[in-house]
Amino acid sequence: MTGDMLINYALGILFFPLISFIILIFVGKRLPRQGDVVGIGTIILTLILSLAMFGSMLLSHDPGFRHEASFTWIDLGDFEIRLGFLIDNITIIMLLVVSLISTMTHIFSTKYMEGDIRYSRYYAYLGLFTFSMNGIVLANNLVSLYIFWELVGVSSYLLIGHWFEKDSAADASKKAFLTNRVGDIGFFIGLMLVFTALGTFNYAEVFEGVAKGAISGTLLTFAGIGLFMGAVGKSSQFPLHIWLPDAMEGPTPVSALMHAATMVAAGVYLSVRLFPLFTPEALLFIAYTGGFTAIFAATIAITQNDIKKVLAYSTISQLGYMILAVGTGAYVAGFFHLVTHAMFKACLFYGSGSVIHAMHHALHNLKDHDTDPQDMRNMGGFKSKMPITYWTMLVATLAISGVPLFSGFLSKDAILAGTLSFASHHPQHFLLPVFGFSAALITAFYMFRLIFMTFHNQPKLPNVYSDIHESPKPMVFPLILLSSLSVFIFYTLPYFNPLSDHGWFMELIKAKDSMVPGSPSAHDIAEGMHHSHTLTMILSILVASLGILLSWAVYIKNSVSADNWSKRLDLYYNLSLNKYYFDENYNKYLYQPFLRLANRVSYIDWDLYDKYFINGFGHITKWLSSVTGRIDYDGLDQTIVDGLGRSMGKAGSSLKEIQTGRLQNYMLFALFGVIIIIIFQSF
Amino acid sequence: MNNLLSISLFLPELVLTATIIIAIIVDIFSVSNRTSKVSNYVIIGLLATLAAVFLTNHSPTTLFMDSLAFDPFASFIKSVVLVATLLIIIFTRYSNEFKGYHTGEYYALLCIMVFGMFLMASAIDLITVYLSIEVVSLMSFILAGYLKNNPRSNEASLKYVIYGAFSSGIMLYGLSIIFGLTGTTKFFAIRDAITTLDSSSNLALTLSTVFVLAGFGYKISAVPFHFWTPDVYEGSPTPITAYLSVAPKAAGFALMIRFFNQVFVDGDSLSTLGWYADVSFAWPEILGVISVVTMTMGNLVAIQQNSVKRMLAYSSIAHAGYMLMAFPTISSEGVFAVMIYLVMYLFMNLGAFFVLIYVAQKQGGENFEHFSGLGWRMPIVGIVMTIFMFSLTGLPPTVGFIGKFYLFVAVINAGSAFYWIAFFGAINTVVSLYFYMRVVKTMYLDGNPSEEIIVPPLSVTLILLVLAVPSVFFGIYWTPILNWVNNSLLFFVQI
Amino acid sequence: MYRDFGTVLIFAMLAIVLVYVPLFIQSLVAPSQKTPDKLDNYECGEEPEGSAWVQFNIRFYVIALIFLIFDVEVVFLFPWAMVFKEMGMVAFIEMGIFLLILIVGLAYVWKKGDLDWVKYNVKYGRGRYRQKASQTEGEAVGSI
Repeated sequence: MTGDMLINYALGILFFPLISFIILIFVGKRLPRQGDVVGIGTIILTLILSLAMFGSMLLSHDPGFRHEASFTWIDLGDFEIRLGFLIDNITIIMLLVVSLISTMTHIFSTKYMEGDIRYSRYYAYLGLFTFSMNGIVLANNLVSLYIFWELVGVSSYLLIGHWFEKDSAADASKKAFLTNRVGDIGFFIGLMLVFTALGTFNYAEVFEGVAKGAISGTLLTFAGIGLFMGAVGKSSQFPLHIWLPDAMEGPTPVSALMHAATMVAAGVYLSVRLFPLFTPEALLFIAYTGGFTAIFAATIAITQNDIKKVLAYSTISQLGYMILAVGTGAYVAGFFHLVTHAMFKACLFYGSGSVIHAMHHALHNLKDHDTDPQDMRNMGGFKSKMPITYWTMLVATLAISGVPLFSGFLSKDAILAGTLSFASHHPQHFLLPVFGFSAALITAFYMFRLIFMTFHNQPKLPNVYSDIHESPKPMVFPLILLSSLSVFIFYTLPYFNPLSDHGWFMELIKAKDSMVPGSPSAHDIAEGMHHSHTLTMILSILVASLGILLSWAVYIKNSVSADNWSKRLDLYYNLSLNKYYFDENYNKYLYQPFLRLANRVSYIDWDLYDKYFINGFGHITKWLSSVTGRIDYDGLDQTIVDGLGRSMGKAGSSLKEIQTGRLQNYMLFALFGVIIIIIFQSF
Repeated sequence: MNNLLSISLFLPELVLTATIIIAIIVDIFSVSNRTSKVSNYVIIGLLATLAAVFLTNHSPTTLFMDSLAFDPFASFIKSVVLVATLLIIIFTRYSNEFKGYHTGEYYALLCIMVFGMFLMASAIDLITVYLSIEVVSLMSFILAGYLKNNPRSNEASLKYVIYGAFSSGIMLYGLSIIFGLTGTTKFFAIRDAITTLDSSSNLALTLSTVFVLAGFGYKISAVPFHFWTPDVYEGSPTPITAYLSVAPKAAGFALMIRFFNQVFVDGDSLSTLGWYADVSFAWPEILGVISVVTMTMGNLVAIQQNSVKRMLAYSSIAHAGYMLMAFPTISSEGVFAVMIYLVMYLFMNLGAFFVLIYVAQKQGGENFEHFSGLGWRMPIVGIVMTIFMFSLTGLPPTVGFIGKFYLFVAVINAGSAFYWIAFFGAINTVVSLYFYMRVVKTMYLDGNPSEEIIVPPLSVTLILLVLAVPSVFFGIYWTPILNWVNNSLLFFVQI
Repeated sequence: MYRDFGTVLIFAMLAIVLVYVPLFIQSLVAPSQKTPDKLDNYECGEEPEGSAWVQFNIRFYVIALIFLIFDVEVVFLFPWAMVFKEMGMVAFIEMGIFLLILIVGLAYVWKKGDLDWVKYNVKYGRGRYRQKASQTEGEAVGSI
């Protein structure tokens, strides 16, 4: 496929969802089936185009493939901004991931959202989201990236708050939007630093400028960290992770699409794209942020009882992994994990959606509105009632835990190898692999805890249990598809080695050298990872099986009592259960003081500045105007203006008999005008 | 170029002439109450003309023994005029003001007016200048008075005729003095002749140019030649008001740009400051004062109007003032800015007028009170009108902002001698905010929000979108217009 | 330059002088006997009936306008006939188009009923015109 052809495909991929959004938002309600067919139709078109691009990428098998097209947006002489597309292998894979998961969400939602009062609007927002996400992926410059970045934030806001009648949903949407703004400020500062230093927004030109040393040292570090702040907000990294668990107030298919697979991955995508401009210091910052987030979120996930909250914290933790990979230079591994994670995490979310759907229906039939359908303590034993959901979720859980034969093993392994090799070069940073491996252990533990509590053991609420059914076909289909995509084979073809990540993916995505002078080359990093590969593999299999065993011991065999241990580790248990009191502390130490400050400022503004300065000024003006008014009225108006008017009126009335009153005046004025100009001109 | 050779480059005008004749013939043979059929033919004819304008490619040259110029600038103005005319025809078909009138000739007259404006856009001979202005004026008189049974329309027409005759009389006098001074009617020959004149003829030159300026000022309704505007705009059928405020104004500006550039300024460079003929002339100051007075007058009077139609009439005077801002600089940047503004103004002004037509039909009047609560009752109309009002004020991200931006850039780049014009322009923009926002305020804050929501029919929605989408789109991404204007900024120049 | 206008001025003055001087001379020389017939308006020998300041029918205006158009046509036809031999076919086609346009105008006028003295196919206005129209309709042709 030629480059221009690809650009046309990309245009289609970008704009089909937008068209669907426009149609649905305006006339959605009047269409048959509230217009979901429009949404699904366009997204399937998008998927077909993405698949075509993907196919052409596989056929041409060119790791260095890259095509760019741009147009001038603003041209003000020296100041010129160009927008455009960049298509390379990363873009194509991301487009496929976005359209695939989006298609699945559209299909899944037909049943999950059935009968919702804002059904057509829901599909419209899905279209808007897909449009903006594809925009992020296709951007070849920081400006359009930033525009679509904000658009993604908006669609996330709209979808989290889809059930805005619920206070918790409305609050969660606000929280998500505002928290993201904090990160975006950093992003914007980074953007402006880069632009002022280099005068361009285009990726390639920025990298060129960095390579030439037009921006370097501390400034470049700050610019990099600023840009990374955007990723911190969007990918929900510590300390801006607080919004993602709350975002689970949105519909579950949305959580699967945006808050697990694609939108939150935008931060990782950004870091991957901009990797060549991060200085070693910035990368260290990134690595520690990611590593800490990975372990930190995992420890919270252990104690959560809400099935979606567990998955939310697990998402944060996995995103931390990807960020960690970028920080240690193994950013291809991070991107690989992004793709595999998108598949199995979306599958897990759909599975949880399926369970919640079933619970909801059962509770609804019992007229029980008090029991929480998302609480795992109310579940148990669903394995026999929902076999497909169980088996698909089990596959996804094995993948996320890093068990061989599944995709998660490959990508996690690569990340951990990256951290190990980084630590072997820089022994002072031994904490990074420790973070990585312990997070892997905890992940295996809490994910199996979820499976065991939901599907195994005895049912906790027998009357609800008797009413549980497997979900309908449109909900099961995405589960089966995505769980099969969690098997290793899809990523290692044309090879069949389940223990090695060699395959089309690693062959097509080659790490680029950092553009910052003095950084280790991509080749060195790959070499280091290769060396630590075997050790990593052994360690990670060990760690994963340990986690699963522990979970099995606690929740199936009951040989270790969870209650007992939670009492014994009372302090830690409470900290984890309450998410380390982050929300409370943010409220106490950030929000409240800020509110007080705002009150103080408003007092100064209203009671001091306004009252004395503005109003005082107003009084003076009023007085002045009354004086001038008197001069104007008595002096000018009465004598000159009215006098002139009267004389005009007299002249007009005397000429009225031969001409039509006012027109005469018009012409007289025009003539006066001509004469005045001539007089003026003659001097 | 001689007459026979010229014909191939005169293709757009020929297509237009054919359209006029076909319109008349169709009108003759059509049943009298189905006259909107004529408009179909006219629309096709105008589209063909538009195609002809784009297809007639040739390096700049002159036609018909140096009486018309053929250059990208003329083609640009022609396209603007054609787009405005097409929109107006659609407005007319939609408007119910013409119910009970025979509208067959209406479209033919409109086309003849377009023909006149084509000539205005390309005239480089005093006789063509006068003839083209007269063709446009005569058609405007009839169209303004088209509503025979409406006394206001009759009054507007009569006032227009008399005032028009008066202005063209003054202008003709000015043209004849120029001819007397130089002995020729061709722009380039006049320019060469003027350079050889001695200072004793300064007074005659001044007189003649002021008189000519009066004619141009009447066409673009600049103070103090604007007096006809409010009365005529109010009395005419609303589509015609909208048309008069856009198309003849564009043609008038084109004629003015060409006249001043080619007669008084060294036409080749277009970038030289200072006027060619006589340095003692205070032209920049005079045009600057006219511009400032025009926009101030337009805006101040517009504030006091209770009728939205009259308000828009005065606002169109103010916009002429804004465009005049770029004249004193007489730089290519200034011409560039005026051309951009003309395109931007086309969308926002016609849009505002179309909303007015629709609201007047639904609410039974054109005053502010008919707009109260409209934003809640007709949400689409409300949003679109808000866009147009923002745009007319010149707020980002609308086309009005981009247009004003380039005007101010042109004025400020021309040097500190023109800062005062920019200063008054800025103040006037703020003043205009008051009455434009008054419409928005009336639509959203006044009146009782009713439960019932009126959604306009699909055809109206489409027209609104056709006007509103460019008003925002070109406010965000205006490079296509920029490129178009840049390519069109090429005059025929005689060496 | 002003000298050229000076010539114009002299001409103007001469014209005025040459009009008024003979009039002045004849007022001195000629005998003056005023009779009512002599003081009356000259109307081609007919006896004047009433004032000349009457309202003419507006249709005269339309007729005059139409006449003027076809009159002007003839003005263009004369020079065309002079160069017809030299230009040949081109001139013939060109004049054909010109006449065609004029014929369209004629057809238009015809269809609109402006060639009839009384327009039967148009609606009359409101008020007194409607009444007058219905009165005159019967006696139509010939009356002024």
